[in-house]
Amino acid sequence: MIEHGPLLERLLAGEFVCAVSDDRAFRRLEDEEVREQIDTYLRPLNRRLATNAEGSVYFLAWRQLNDEAREQLSRQLGEVLHSLMPMLEWLQLMQEAMGHDALVAPGDVLKPAELSARCEDNQSLREQLERLAGDTFFGSQSEQLDAQMKQVFKRLKEHGYLLQPHADRQVYLVTGKIDYLVDLVRLIRDEENLPVEDERPQTQESLL
Amino acid sequence: MKELAVRDEHELESRLIGTGVERLALLGKHADALMQGYSRDEVPLEALSDSALRRLLAARIVWRPDDQGGVKLAPRVRELIAEMLADETRRQVNADVGETLELLRTLVQSYREAQNQGEYWRQEQQLLRLRQAVDDLNGRFADAIDSLWQRLNSDFGFVSRLNDKIRENDRAQKQIVRLLDGLQLIDFDELIELVGSDGTLRKLLISQLQRQVSQHYTSLREVQSRLTELMARFRQQQSRSRLISGMAAFLREHPNFVPGNYARRSEVPDLINQASPLIAAAAPALDHEPDIRVLTDLVHQLPTPVHKPQAVAAARPAEAEEQSLVAARQQALKQDVENFYLTVIDHPDPMGISALAYLQESDMEWGDEIWLFQVIAEYQGLPRSEQRAFRLHQSESRASRFNDLRLIHDVTLQLANSA
Repeated sequence: MIEHGPLLERLLAGEFVCAVSDDRAFRRLEDEEVREQIDTYLRPLNRRLATNAEGSVYFLAWRQLNDEAREQLSRQLGEVLHSLMPMLEWLQLMQEAMGHDALVAPGDVLKPAELSARCEDNQSLREQLERLAGDTFFGSQSEQLDAQMKQVFKRLKEHGYLLQPHADRQVYLVTGKIDYLVDLVRLIRDEENLPVEDERPQTQESLL
Repeated sequence: MKELAVRDEHELESRLIGTGVERLALLGKHADALMQGYSRDEVPLEALSDSALRRLLAARIVWRPDDQGGVKLAPRVRELIAEMLADETRRQVNADVGETLELLRTLVQSYREAQNQGEYWRQEQQLLRLRQAVDDLNGRFADAIDSLWQRLNSDFGFVSRLNDKIRENDRAQKQIVRLLDGLQLIDFDELIELVGSDGTLRKLLISQLQRQVSQHYTSLREVQSRLTELMARFRQQQSRSRLISGMAAFLREHPNFVPGNYARRSEVPDLINQASPLIAAAAPALDHEPDIRVLTDLVHQLPTPVHKPQAVAAARPAEAEEQSLVAARQQALKQDVENFYLTVIDHPDPMGISALAYLQESDMEWGDEIWLFQVIAEYQGLPRSEQRAFRLHQSESRASRFNDLRLIHDVTLQLANSA
């Protein structure tokens, strides 16, 4: 277990481990034997290793859901819901600013300076960023576009959605936690039967 | 008679070579105009003289689809350029196997005839053409497979929209099916019968072709499975993007929407079960003999702390609920210590006032250690000019004969000018 020490510490601290945040640890976690070892170790701490549907991120879950754990999960769920709208808007902003028709995905490289420049030239993006940055989740007090973008990235880094490989360089990598967020959105959609489609309509399919 | 025919054929061949060289040169000579014709719809005529245009038309490098319309590149030339540029938007996959097989049959028959009649030169010629036909067939598959890999490896980078990528992927998959169908047409049983016992033909049409065909099969199957994977990824990206924009739109329309509390259900969804963080904390411990030396060294290496006076009082961002109680107690302690300092100022005593004695006399409930700590911290937190106004005496002793750790038992505070 000695060699898993640092990894265990990160998991216990509540980190999400993915191929972007720690490639070596992630590859180790893909080994079922290692997962079992870690689970055994975590048992007395009432925790177990958990992953999302695609197996792209690992994190720790409660093993037994006692009242305390449920209390904590309710609070946490509340926080996630509070961040949901700003996160969705951020995802859409990134997509539009980069002119992509796919969402940012784990491993994507984001440069706040570049994105600021795009928003500067586009009134609608500019307004979207302003609204987003002012949300309590991101909490920017600034009226400066650069500062707003910086604050948004800072918060996303704190929440583990982004990784900054070099502290002195404004270049960020998207982590696997984004996958977790998308899965969570899908869960809410399914649980609440929301009228939100993600599949291509069948008729269009048959035209191709 | 035979010699005459051979001479005729030689003449024909050299005439063909001559014309070929002339016409190939046309491609180079008019490369600019032709490339403009490739990138646009028509070949610009301003740059071409009448005779040049006539030659290009005669060489079937360009053609005129109708009398009124302009001049365009011939399809074969367009294909040639696309192939040379590996231009995946225009590259075509054409594996016309049926026709090639027909050609092979004809050539084998002519080869046989020439062999039977002892016309070696003609036999050689037929063999050469057979080789070329097999090479062409092989080359067409190799090109098609190369084009497929290029597209796959670039993630269909030549189109930018996801929908286009999905359509291009679909088209590539259909091409693979056609290529596989083409390979299926090559019936080796038939070829074995066709070549009979002729060693040269057998080598060319059976062993060589079989090896190449099996390579193509493997490559095509591989590229096919990779394309299917990529398609699944494209579809997943598309689905994620739709999901997020759909959910964002829904939440904008229903700002008061609150989903159920999944944590209270009997079956909590796995995804939301995320344990709270646990810090694996550790503190220096002196109960392990060998560690004491290491810890002592570490303590000696500690830099002298530089206290910034404003750090204690500085405003901090909103804190979690659990922390606010701690913060309130911290504030109360600080307040009490400040009162202690005021007492020292108000009642100057040449002996100074013992911090512990002050604590015991008051009805405050602070622990001795925390009280002393805060009194010292308050002193160190003062600006240097104000520090000079006080004298802080620490009554301390060594932890043991073997341990240089200093234990503070009490501190006495006095005004500097009252001494």
